[in-house]
Amino acid sequence: MRSRLVLVAGAARIASMTRGFYTGRLSYWSLVLPILVLIVMFFYIPVALAFFWSFFLERPFGGGSEFVGFQNYGRVLSDPEFWNAMWRTLIFMVVAPGLAIGLSLILALAADRSIRISQAARNIIIWPKAVAGASIGVVFVFIFNPFLGIFAPLNEISPGIWNPRIDGADAFITVVIAQIWNGIPFNFIILLSGLQAIPDMLAKAAAMDGSGPWRRIVDLQLPLLTPQLFLTFVLEFVGTVVEAFGLIDTMTEGGPGGATNLLIYKIYVDGFKAYDLSGAATQTALLMMFVIVMVILQFRLERFVKYER
Amino acid sequence: MTLADNSIALHEVRKTFGDNLVVPGITAEIDGGKFTVILGPSGCGKSTLLNMIAGLESVTSGTIRIGAREVQDLAPKERGCAMVFQNYALYPHMTVRNNIGYALKVAGVPKRERCERIKASAESVGLHGLLDRRPSELSGGQRQRVAVARAIVREPSVLLYDEPLSNLDAKLRQGMRMELTRLHERIGATSVFVTHDQVEAMTLADRIMLLNNGEIEQYAAPSDLYENPATTFVATFIGAPAMNLLNAEGDGSGIRLPNGTLLATMPFRGPVTLGIRPESIEIVPDGIPCRNVYSEDLGSHSIIVAEVADGQKLHVATPLCRRMTPGETFSVRFVEDAARLFDPTSGKRLQST
Repeated sequence: MRSRLVLVAGAARIASMTRGFYTGRLSYWSLVLPILVLIVMFFYIPVALAFFWSFFLERPFGGGSEFVGFQNYGRVLSDPEFWNAMWRTLIFMVVAPGLAIGLSLILALAADRSIRISQAARNIIIWPKAVAGASIGVVFVFIFNPFLGIFAPLNEISPGIWNPRIDGADAFITVVIAQIWNGIPFNFIILLSGLQAIPDMLAKAAAMDGSGPWRRIVDLQLPLLTPQLFLTFVLEFVGTVVEAFGLIDTMTEGGPGGATNLLIYKIYVDGFKAYDLSGAATQTALLMMFVIVMVILQFRLERFVKYER
Repeated sequence: MTLADNSIALHEVRKTFGDNLVVPGITAEIDGGKFTVILGPSGCGKSTLLNMIAGLESVTSGTIRIGAREVQDLAPKERGCAMVFQNYALYPHMTVRNNIGYALKVAGVPKRERCERIKASAESVGLHGLLDRRPSELSGGQRQRVAVARAIVREPSVLLYDEPLSNLDAKLRQGMRMELTRLHERIGATSVFVTHDQVEAMTLADRIMLLNNGEIEQYAAPSDLYENPATTFVATFIGAPAMNLLNAEGDGSGIRLPNGTLLATMPFRGPVTLGIRPESIEIVPDGIPCRNVYSEDLGSHSIIVAEVADGQKLHVATPLCRRMTPGETFSVRFVEDAARLFDPTSGKRLQST
């Protein structure tokens, strides 16, 4: 999902830039075809099948299926566990991107002002990008271990205050932190490059106009950074829905007591562990629609984005 | 506020970037209410000096006074300066109105007063009906006007220009020069204008500070700079084509080329560099023999590049518009009170005539 969005945004820019560069339909097609095949095979066909299956009752081990109309939807929508997962997904979608972008923005603003050690920080902050989601999960399970991790001293003061294995809120916080940690490098790069693309002269002009560094952030840097902020916002929002899977699978497996059972993980469990293929397909279709609605809402925000340079 | 209040006094102002000495120490007084141009080749430290006056660059040592206040440690906004930048530096996300009014907004000027001052400022630079446009919708000349309007809206006591005309085409530049002169006469702020263009310097300035390698070569009125250059650097930097410099020898009664040709009758003895402006050379039937190398007819006058006896080049500007064939010989005479003598080793001016 993430890579596809980047592709679409990139393609639009490039199309306006290089129109007329390639001649002949053949070269167009030969360039576009490989990625088109991949997108169709691994995105459009599965999504179409999910919508298709959501109207059928599938047998767990293959064989015939039965058309049931909207019965699957009725079953899923009346299941409180679905709504719980949906609600948790929504909270996750707001908290994790909000903090991941907010923290990245603070780091990028600091690095852009070239304060002490910012040169080193620029490199170090980018490193986590090279770590896979599942590995991050394993590491964070250890870091937040109630007896050995960084919060172990809390438990010595007041036993049981921090235990993500049994406390749902603690588990949710752990997953959120891991997700934020995972998201910061990419957002940081995008935002920092956006800040550095703002001409130095503007800051000088604003300084001459009497605007101090903090005021310049609000009046100058943030408005001119809106294209990058919007990009990270859209990517983070969609990314949290699907990317949290790796973290949840390695860290909590949806537990304890379903506290970290986001919709994306519930679909996996329902479909591949409980063999409720129709239920999983239906939830996939619902999740898909939810994401589409979210993205449409986000693009309505785009009129606040200032692209002028 | 009297004019003297806006004078800028630089005392031993130094700037280093790491080990790189950019401005080795400038002491000068910039007159209040006057138009001063800081002129010099690129890399001579003129923009750095301007930025130090503005407060955008810290001074390594030395003091800067604006009026009676010592300002080198103050933030830009406390110095009462406004600046026009080379590439306009307009805020791309704001309308022209908000660009001009930003300083007032930051200063907390009430909205009603702000609107009036924006309008007055925009009209004084000839921006009509463009207040709701974005900078991206304006031409280069219009953007420059917005930048000027933004600078004058606060009624600054000091107005700084950092090569503001170099992004404009030649025709527009001349128009803007005239407007800037008029603007200066009207608002009377102390104006400091940085440029590498000697035409801008000559036309705009009350006084020109000519910098070379961070040091003042000469600080004088434009006509003085042109007629009485203090060094050979000034002589060659000002004027197009530049002042001719000939290696010659004085025998006590006249300045002669090594082969004995008399250039000018001046009581000087010893090796010397003789400087003469191209337009102070007259073509005469009998005088210093020259051989034409190249000539350009510019319509109003022509420029002839000639060689004197020992092969030194000489530029001659003559109102006689004629094209000479290469190799053609003719003779010239130097207008003697226009000839200037320089020390051949230090390049400093030798006598004041």
